[in-house]
Amino acid sequence: MIETPRSPARPLLWAYCSLTLAFLCTPILIVVVVSFNASEFIQFPPRAWSLRWYENYFGSRQWVEPTLLSLRIAFVTMVLSTLLGAAAAIGLTRGRFRGRRPLEFFFVSPMVMPTIVLAIGLYLLFARFRLVGQPLALYLAHTVVATPLVIVIVSAALKTTDSAIELAARSLGAGYFRTLWHVTLPAILPSVVSGAAFAFLLSFDEVVLAIFLGGPATTTLPKRMWESVRYEIDPTLTAISTLLVIVPIVILCVVAVVRRSFAGAASTASRPTDGE
Amino acid sequence: MGSLAFFLAIYLYPLTRLLVWSFFSPGFTLEHYAKLFAEPAYMQALRNTAEISVWVTALSLALGYPLAYLMTVVSGRVRTLLIVLVLVPFWTSVLVRTFAWMVILGKRGIINQLLMGWGVIDKPVALIYNMLGVQIGMVHVLLPFMVFPLLNVMTRIDTSLVTAARSLGASPRQAFLRIFLPLSLPGVSAGCVLVFLLAVGFYITPALLGGEGQVTFTTLIELVVRDLLDWNFGASLGVFLLTIVGTLFVLFSTLLGLERLTGDTRA
Repeated sequence: MIETPRSPARPLLWAYCSLTLAFLCTPILIVVVVSFNASEFIQFPPRAWSLRWYENYFGSRQWVEPTLLSLRIAFVTMVLSTLLGAAAAIGLTRGRFRGRRPLEFFFVSPMVMPTIVLAIGLYLLFARFRLVGQPLALYLAHTVVATPLVIVIVSAALKTTDSAIELAARSLGAGYFRTLWHVTLPAILPSVVSGAAFAFLLSFDEVVLAIFLGGPATTTLPKRMWESVRYEIDPTLTAISTLLVIVPIVILCVVAVVRRSFAGAASTASRPTDGE
Repeated sequence: MGSLAFFLAIYLYPLTRLLVWSFFSPGFTLEHYAKLFAEPAYMQALRNTAEISVWVTALSLALGYPLAYLMTVVSGRVRTLLIVLVLVPFWTSVLVRTFAWMVILGKRGIINQLLMGWGVIDKPVALIYNMLGVQIGMVHVLLPFMVFPLLNVMTRIDTSLVTAARSLGASPRQAFLRIFLPLSLPGVSAGCVLVFLLAVGFYITPALLGGEGQVTFTTLIELVVRDLLDWNFGASLGVFLLTIVGTLFVLFSTLLGLERLTGDTRA
């Protein structure tokens, strides 16, 4: 303990931080409440309740189709970026070669890179191949921004697992790929699963690349929402927002369950765990 | 290394193309960069971006440091709860969160409704489409990027050092200011750099919550490319922004360690 519990500063600290947390969480809660509003105008607190904005969303093709497209793009992005990201993470963490650090920089740099700059660069590239407005453009673009996330998550797991067990497998006669499949991958599987889940989420919510590279035929849900929010505040957006708030909560729960069950399985098999 | 080939083709190559576009028209020229420095409106966008980013970084630190500190001193279960309360908004779509602020702060938004209902004001107060709206929205999105690097460093501080200081007669305040605070500074710099970099390149929130006076560098790029269709100039703006962000990123990730900036705590 850093301070004694009776420290006079502690209640003040709690009060200040509660306000900060309220600042973070209240806007989201308000949108959730407002989505059950019955009136045409957004009211808080709502005077009458209804599910009409949800009916509006599920009943209209102009919302359902973008949602299905977003799910498809997010799925493809997830598969591509998990494969590329896990491979890159293994190469970067286990490999011993010159230029490893600069390469690591290069691979994670899309995380801080202004998306709009990438968007106009990709637009110029894809325009030459007539890919702008095609789903392929978004598969590729989203994979560029989602892969670094997978790399960071999987690398962190690789750094905490003992590479000696891989050496042991190799010295017992297992080849490189056999070791990878039977030793390395099972050890980092939870991180690969969470990397994949977050890559899915990143693509599903992505706006900037979608508005620059998507055409009328490739309107993703965020692109459709963006077009709507720029011109008027349609209460249907509150219902969609509520559904979009649930997605990360589900994903965070799945990741937590996967990590926990894996840690449980590992300890019953009396293998040393990495303390995650 | 298939990953490398993919990144070279879909990431490095388009950026190189951007560089080429920014210097040619069709022969080699510096006119696109000259335009940026010649036109006061463009310099104003640059100043706006700098001003917003500095403010957002400072506010995020002011809110984030105490929060990360609280997370380090409470018990494990409470800490998990606090982290979840930051993680859920963090992973919620930026568009949804920005839209939430439009619902709350808009002209016919909830705050204006309530204030007018209570008779505090007779006509709506402008809370968005100005600097205030942009700052509120951006701090909301970027605050977690301050909290996680801070938490990462703070949880590794050896608390027995603080206990030792206390047992040697330091007051809680002295122990905090002379032991804990200096040891947490790497987290402060990592968080500030990360938030600043992301703020400089941020597009969604300034585009939705900013007004005409808050044209940032990123919204300027959109304007130039979409409305003026001047791709060469747009490319030069992009390269300029990229140079600033890239230099800061390389500089600080070398100084602070790349792991501090990208950190795995968010998952």
